Amino acid sequence: MLLPFFSQLEHSWMGQSIQSSVWLFPVIESIHLVGLGIIAGSVLIVDMRLLGVGLRSQSVEEVADNARPWMIGSLALMFASGILLFLSEATKCYYSFPFWFKMSSLALAIVFTFTLKGRVIRQKLDQRHPLLGKATAIVSLGLWFGVAWGGRWIGFS
Amino acid sequence: MAAFFGLALLFDLRLLGWTMRRVPVSEMSRRVLPWTVVAFIVMVLSGSLLVFAIPLRTYQNVFFRTKMLMLALAGLNVWIFNSRVYRRVETWDLDALPPRAARVAGALSIALWIAVIVSGRMIAYNWFDCDTQPHSAIIRSLAGCTMPDSRN
Repeated sequence: MLLPFFSQLEHSWMGQSIQSSVWLFPVIESIHLVGLGIIAGSVLIVDMRLLGVGLRSQSVEEVADNARPWMIGSLALMFASGILLFLSEATKCYYSFPFWFKMSSLALAIVFTFTLKGRVIRQKLDQRHPLLGKATAIVSLGLWFGVAWGGRWIGFS
Repeated sequence: MAAFFGLALLFDLRLLGWTMRRVPVSEMSRRVLPWTVVAFIVMVLSGSLLVFAIPLRTYQNVFFRTKMLMLALAGLNVWIFNSRVYRRVETWDLDALPPRAARVAGALSIALWIAVIVSGRMIAYNWFDCDTQPHSAIIRSLAGCTMPDSRN
């Protein structure tokens, strides 16, 4: 059902430009990779705090407030660069299991981060239920790791 | 890579006064930097394995050489920061905006680590490999190509 749409995207002007250029894909890929580092740091620092390591003398909320602009900013950078990479090989992605694995993990990670995890942090639920805080961090790390792993795997298939 | 760069970046951003402005720099250093050391060791080990898989191709790769140079410069930056700027951290530990020398070290660190990431990613591309001739004399000497140019 999506295949004709993906094929159309790949044959769009943008998709073709990136595909036919030697340099564009690697350059966008590098930007995507730097974005990966930023988002990893901003997620890790909060999840580590929830696990009780890292910036322990600061409240979870304080750490999360400081990390949030960087997480949202890098997420935007990842989306912009990721969509461009996708356009250049949309048909390959359609048939790629790692691609769908990554997109599923990504959807879950985003929903989890902005609903359940956000609520745990805002309502300070981790202070009353330390295990809940730790579980939140582990689920978050697991989902984001799935996104990164799926992403790396796309390149091998 | 992401764990190392992400956490090191947060420390550098703190040096720039762009995040965690109310957290003492020494606390960021104590609590965050040990994790970057762990991640760095993982990267050195896994990176060495990747080099051992194709040592010659890697050694004669312009991007690999660039990456090692940037890595050395990043290390030098850390050393200068630790031996000079950070030694007087008590005097600026709580500053929301650290002194210029610390900000310069933070900015240099970010730029150099991005250069390491980008050149590292480019190693996979064979544009300048010795066996994809012809290349200009500059590329050939930068890559350390030993075989004669096929055009000769």
